[in-house]
Amino acid sequence: MTWLLLVSLLVLIALGVPVAYSLGVSVLLYIALSDPQLLLVLPLQLFAGFDSYALMSLPLFILMGQVMNSAQITARLIDFSMLVVGRLRSGLGLVNVLASMLFGGISGSSASDTASIGSVLIPEMEKRGYRKEVAAGITVASSTMGMVIPPSIPMVLYAVVAQQSVGKLFLGGVFPGIMVGILQMGLVQLLVRGGIEQDRQPVTLTSALARTVRSLPVLLMPVVVVGSVVFGIATATESAALGVLYAALAGFLLTRALKVRAFWGCLRSTALTSAKIMIVIALSQAYIWILALERVPETIAKFVVELGLGAVGTLLLVDLIVLLAGTVIDVSPAILLLTPVFAPALQDLGVSPILFGVLLVSGLAVGACTPPVGTCLNVGAAVANLDIGRIFRGAAPFLAANAATLALVTVFPEIALWLPNKLMP
Amino acid sequence: MSIGGFERRLTSVLEAILCAGMLGIFLVIVVLVTMRYLFQSGLVGANEIATVAFAYLSSIGAAVAVGRQEHIRVDLLSRSVGSGGRKALAITSLSLVGMLNLAIVVTSLNWIAATGHYLMPASQIPRSVAQVCVPLGCGLATLYCCTRIAAILRGEPSN
Repeated sequence: MTWLLLVSLLVLIALGVPVAYSLGVSVLLYIALSDPQLLLVLPLQLFAGFDSYALMSLPLFILMGQVMNSAQITARLIDFSMLVVGRLRSGLGLVNVLASMLFGGISGSSASDTASIGSVLIPEMEKRGYRKEVAAGITVASSTMGMVIPPSIPMVLYAVVAQQSVGKLFLGGVFPGIMVGILQMGLVQLLVRGGIEQDRQPVTLTSALARTVRSLPVLLMPVVVVGSVVFGIATATESAALGVLYAALAGFLLTRALKVRAFWGCLRSTALTSAKIMIVIALSQAYIWILALERVPETIAKFVVELGLGAVGTLLLVDLIVLLAGTVIDVSPAILLLTPVFAPALQDLGVSPILFGVLLVSGLAVGACTPPVGTCLNVGAAVANLDIGRIFRGAAPFLAANAATLALVTVFPEIALWLPNKLMP
Repeated sequence: MSIGGFERRLTSVLEAILCAGMLGIFLVIVVLVTMRYLFQSGLVGANEIATVAFAYLSSIGAAVAVGRQEHIRVDLLSRSVGSGGRKALAITSLSLVGMLNLAIVVTSLNWIAATGHYLMPASQIPRSVAQVCVPLGCGLATLYCCTRIAAILRGEPSN
């Protein structure tokens, strides 16, 4: 009956049935044909998915990003990035990557990174001589860091599914995320040439200091949020709530751009966004329960171990599968489906679950920039008013940085594991 | 009242509940952290109540997303067919989603009757108070599926 589960899921997703409900209908079909008494599994698993204190951090992290967006902190991040790299060759391309890196440390979501940085920088880059698809491509490719650099919403999701420490996963994403940023900056320097104006405004020490101080409250935010989890001051849920409080105070008192009406809008949008993720989580639990009943994870684990590729070879194979899966399935459902399938096999091979989490999220971040379902690509298309094919062509060269990082972290796991092992032994 | 008008009113009421719930969860967590560090105390059962509120938020929010047709989906096929094909795909999808939600409503009633009387450990509230979020959310989702199908058949614009 396993084939029925897999085939029906693929057919339903292809027909355009929402991913969450495709999972649920597949389970319903399986139960109807195998054992109708199992029907009780559906409400039980649905409730188990909703009734989770740990997952409450998810809407709070989403709310933090939304409030930060409404507080118009993007302008301060871009200003700080201009100060650091704006005067170099292809400066605005570098600013785009650095701003995404800093934004990733605040929002935890690549889609909001694409929207907020793209809406400011794509028109500005076009004005300074960048081709529109290159400007949009750099924006979309660099937004992938939002998922890897902590705090990261997909990392929280993986932590809950794999029952791992959120703090360790956050720390695991730090160096791979920075690595992606540095490599993307290198590619911008290497590939973007001709007819591009640089920032020629003079910078004095006083103005540089003033601009840094102005950006400091925003730059400190990741330290507050991630630090409180890593050093055991607060749980992930509490640190997310503190992040929302910090963002709201910054928006109401510091930038004064956040209004009560906009805050209410953030609450509404957060509740809907998190509900869309939660229903995927809840119904995928039922699907995974049936997969376990059919012993699918065990079969795959046995098959993978018998391939005899060793830990690194198997991880490279998993990287490839994750990259392919990311092109056709959204990040949250992919984490929910791939984690229980591959985690046991990798554990048998002695691979750290933290390393697998970092690789999974990093790989799926690339998928968010590839057609046909790439979320960031679709957001980028809306912001830049370009079709997704042209944006993908613009983004593809810069995604090489992500692929290289994925391969390097696979071969040298210490890139991801050194920091969590050092700070949270 | 048109179907679209009914949907809009229902959605605006539900969205107000979602906003209030989201704000409530945020405030409860902030108060708990503040009390822990400033007064070395806590509120008994507050975490449990926040989790129950979160379960309601998720189930009602998922139903609203059905009404607004905002769930995560792959729309390659519907983008490549004509308007008739798009309508047929939308009705098929809504029928399947409605059928699933209805099945969950029916089975969840037996499940709540059997297990709902157990008390939650800290707040001592019966579990049925939390469990009701499942039939409530799925019932609303079924209702939205019906109104959406009716609106499509009557040629009303999407909500």
